[in-house]
Amino acid sequence: MSDRVGIIGIGATQFRSITPDVSYKELMFEAAVKAYDDAGINPRKDVDTFVTCAEDYIEGTSIFDEYVPDQIGAALKPVHTIGGDGLHGIATAFLQLKTGRFDIAVVEAHCKPSNMLTPDGIEACGQDPIYNRPLKLNTHFIAGLEMNRFCYETGVTYDQCAKVVIKNRRNALNNPIAGRAAKLKLNDFKYAESVSCPLTELDIAQPADGAVVIVLANESKVRALKKEPIWVSGIGWCNGTATLESRDWVYLNYVTKAAEMAYKMAGIADPQKDISFAEIDDRYSYKELQHLMALKLCCSCNPGQCVDNGRTEINGEFPVNPSGGALGMGYMYEATGLARLYCAVEQLRGNAGKNQIKNAKTALVQGWRGLPTTSTAVTILNA
Amino acid sequence: MAMKERLTKADEAKPWYGELPVESLYTAGIAGEKFFRSIQEKGVFLGSKCHKCNMVYVPPKIYCEQDFEKLEDYVEVADCGSLESFTCVHIGLDGKRLLEPMIVGLINLDGASTSIVHMLGETTVEELCMGMRVCAVFKPKNKREGAITDILYFKPTKQ
Repeated sequence: MSDRVGIIGIGATQFRSITPDVSYKELMFEAAVKAYDDAGINPRKDVDTFVTCAEDYIEGTSIFDEYVPDQIGAALKPVHTIGGDGLHGIATAFLQLKTGRFDIAVVEAHCKPSNMLTPDGIEACGQDPIYNRPLKLNTHFIAGLEMNRFCYETGVTYDQCAKVVIKNRRNALNNPIAGRAAKLKLNDFKYAESVSCPLTELDIAQPADGAVVIVLANESKVRALKKEPIWVSGIGWCNGTATLESRDWVYLNYVTKAAEMAYKMAGIADPQKDISFAEIDDRYSYKELQHLMALKLCCSCNPGQCVDNGRTEINGEFPVNPSGGALGMGYMYEATGLARLYCAVEQLRGNAGKNQIKNAKTALVQGWRGLPTTSTAVTILNA
Repeated sequence: MAMKERLTKADEAKPWYGELPVESLYTAGIAGEKFFRSIQEKGVFLGSKCHKCNMVYVPPKIYCEQDFEKLEDYVEVADCGSLESFTCVHIGLDGKRLLEPMIVGLINLDGASTSIVHMLGETTVEELCMGMRVCAVFKPKNKREGAITDILYFKPTKQ
């Protein structure tokens, strides 16, 4: 039970707005081949258990767990699919390794939103069918209400939210797998179409196709394979009250609780000092600031100052989403958290190229399952 | 690359179209039934109160999400309250821009600990502000069917 858990292999496809050249199974296969090659393992021989993360409605296929084993080398092996963000999959695999029953676990998540012809309709199916869905509102309305209240109560300005987008999409310029890199200016936001005020089209991470596979192993296996792992030193997850009527629209207590669980496990007393950088959910511009506040990674008196004073830039005091985040790389539904984790591992390995943070030793990774959920997972990684 | 070859011509990428024909019915449950009947018959909002934490849930629930108490005490709350947040939605369920944007509010009814989500009417988004007083406008009684849409919208008021 005392065995640590380490990440020994990662693989990801490019994240692109459309991928008509391959099927979703081939996206999964490509990421899996890369991850197994990175880990130096054969999945048919070496992997003991597989976890994948997917949502039937997003896939357009019910009982989707039946469709995952073959292309990741998991046929005739323990495998199951959870309806959650990829980081929830990491938590599940982590627990399985901790039982001592398995030595190597694989986590997979993917998304092919270019196959979804009615994404807004599918997302609306997540709204409460009795109290909310009869209003026939595009699900972005929840983000519009939340952004308005969050900015009102914290003093965060729309310009500060825009600066999150500018930072993340600029960071993505130097991320070779990112699909939404751009050089934007504040002026661009003046002409951006409103989606659900104050939310504009530029405040929303745009969907991308892609797949991510992560290979984890217990400490004895890591040693036996002579790998230089990235250790998973803390992990936490939590759900809030998802009911729109009773949720807190400003302070995300479920994120704070998940973070506290992870901090305690990792022995982190002062998150802002003990952590080198963070890869966190930025499905919407303001979400990066709201999540930073809940994770205790910025001053809660005014989280918007983080982007004004350059604190969260790559060369800043506390870099946030140096990969470009979902705003810069693309929003990938269930695979979004795993994309953040992939990029955090690249940073800790020193493989982030022009986006490399000096002396990056400890990373925080956070995933959120998107609207209308209050579901999050937090992971602490150590080089 | 994982694959030795990929499609190289866009016209080789043939799509197959499919749909998921799903229909469901949903039941509001014990507390939900009371809530909707009260609106339909009396035009009155009903909540349920937790005597442990004093939360008043609107719409009512038979359990307290804070301390898991069983809630059996139903209380009437006002049909007016304060605007906790608002937004103007420009995109429809089909992802296309709406010809007429929809204004939505988060309304904390007087006497409730929670806030309900509904449309705002007889106003423009420019006129709205946080904390503004709004009141429910119901459908005529003979047109109500015991649904959240029995409330047409909330409108600003001086009450």
